[in-house]
Amino acid sequence: MDSGSISLIEVCGLHYRYASGSPVLIDINLEVSAGEIVALLGPNGAGKSTLLRLLLNELTPESGTILGPLLSMKSERVLMGYAGEESAHFNSLTGIQNAHFFARAAGVEKDEVSEMVSGLMNLVGLSDEADKVVSSYSFGAKRKLLLLEALVHQPKLLLLDEPTVGLDPTSRDALAHILSKCRQEGSAIVMASHDLNFLEQLADRILVIDKGRVVSSGSQAELLSSLGTATRFQVSVDAAAIELPEYFGDNVELVDDSGPLVFETTRGQAALPDIWAALISARVKILGVEVREPGLAELFRRVTGQELPE
Amino acid sequence: MKFLVAAMEFRLALARPRLLALNVMVPVVLVLAISLGGAPVFHAAAVYTVLFTLFGTFGSSIPLVRDAEAGLFGRIIRAGVPRSHFLIERAAGGSAIDALQLLPALTIATLGSISLNEWIRAVLVLWSSIWIANLLGNLVAAVARSLAETALFSAVAALLLLHFSGVFRTPLPQSSWAVVEALSPFQALHETLFAVLMGTSTELPLGLVLWVLVLPVVTVLLARPITRSLRATRDG
Repeated sequence: MDSGSISLIEVCGLHYRYASGSPVLIDINLEVSAGEIVALLGPNGAGKSTLLRLLLNELTPESGTILGPLLSMKSERVLMGYAGEESAHFNSLTGIQNAHFFARAAGVEKDEVSEMVSGLMNLVGLSDEADKVVSSYSFGAKRKLLLLEALVHQPKLLLLDEPTVGLDPTSRDALAHILSKCRQEGSAIVMASHDLNFLEQLADRILVIDKGRVVSSGSQAELLSSLGTATRFQVSVDAAAIELPEYFGDNVELVDDSGPLVFETTRGQAALPDIWAALISARVKILGVEVREPGLAELFRRVTGQELPE
Repeated sequence: MKFLVAAMEFRLALARPRLLALNVMVPVVLVLAISLGGAPVFHAAAVYTVLFTLFGTFGSSIPLVRDAEAGLFGRIIRAGVPRSHFLIERAAGGSAIDALQLLPALTIATLGSISLNEWIRAVLVLWSSIWIANLLGNLVAAVARSLAETALFSAVAALLLLHFSGVFRTPLPQSSWAVVEALSPFQALHETLFAVLMGTSTELPLGLVLWVLVLPVVTVLLARPITRSLRATRDG
């Protein structure tokens, strides 16, 4: 985070639990500044969407505070934009009628709304469907319209829950371009996503959340440096009558043999033939090999012990 | 004030011509059947009052719960429409549309027994009563957790208030019920329709004015819990 940037919202010691059950979020601390993209990464049920709804002031925390200049700013327009999982619209109206309604509701003036909506319709690739009724839209088109409606009033803080779901690669790239532009113009963005390529492309800071707690946070560079530069190989083997060799090649270390064998090396994929040869010579039956280069996916696995959902 | 929600109600009504036609034709068919069937005036007035009241209550509560379940209600509030504006504008738009849709049925019901002034008065009473029914629909929607519950609660709330309004009873002018009736929301509609069918006139009861003015205030005061409850409909 740029030390000169303006903090918009500060979350301190936030705890939240549903009335019926176990805690959903535990001691969350987060500061979001203008011109920053913060990504929330975590398995399903980790509490990412709940955190977004707390930031929207739709849920009341059990304890902790959400403060910041954004909450006391006076503006003609709504200062937050949100695109969640639901893409409910006025289905019997056209896309442009829906977009006009939500833009006007968020405070866009009547004389500005047409220009702002049609500009975004072009950017997200909805121009051809603007005058069709929403009930005839595909899932992807509805998602695009939802994102457009969250963006149209140029909010200071944009909260996005799985923004790339339902988007084709072209629309996904267009969204990345739009969000980059929002960041340049000083908007802050907090997004929960499982789309690692999208996060790697955009996120300035990443919070990995697991079971309601922030288990790791920092810039991409900081998080990835914590992984080291080692490549990991996960080798599935026939566990029956296995007797492993001691040596798998230079700079190759067997780090886990409790399930599939996990090797770590600084030699990258060049080490794979040595590992393969060592296992074959020990008469180990190889069932499959998975290469894990250092990256967000690997970070996620190591921090949460889980695979990312598809 | 942008009246976005009220304007949207009209846009939605016009965008669904089949539903619009049904909403006009169904009351017309029912009113025609009663009108041509030679039902006694007291019964005819009661049936018309029930029909028009349920039209307003159901027409308000069921779409609201449906939109809440789909997440649309939450999106509208989140987008920046103030809660109280949403509830009041929706009832205002909805009651105007309902009144327009019921106009042909009302005209048929009162055909031949009414002057223009009395017809205009009947329209205003109808509109006011449907405004109350629409606002009641908001309250009913807030306590329901499904469409089935909404239909049940709408029917129960409307029928109870119709009962208190004296629609299902022979008037008892000297009893304490007369006070309850005078303060009930749908007595004016019933009395007006009865008077029109009888070819007599009636005074504007206090109950109608009271409810027309008080119920919007109650709605504004309860806007936050109503909104919270409607959002909970989606969250289950």
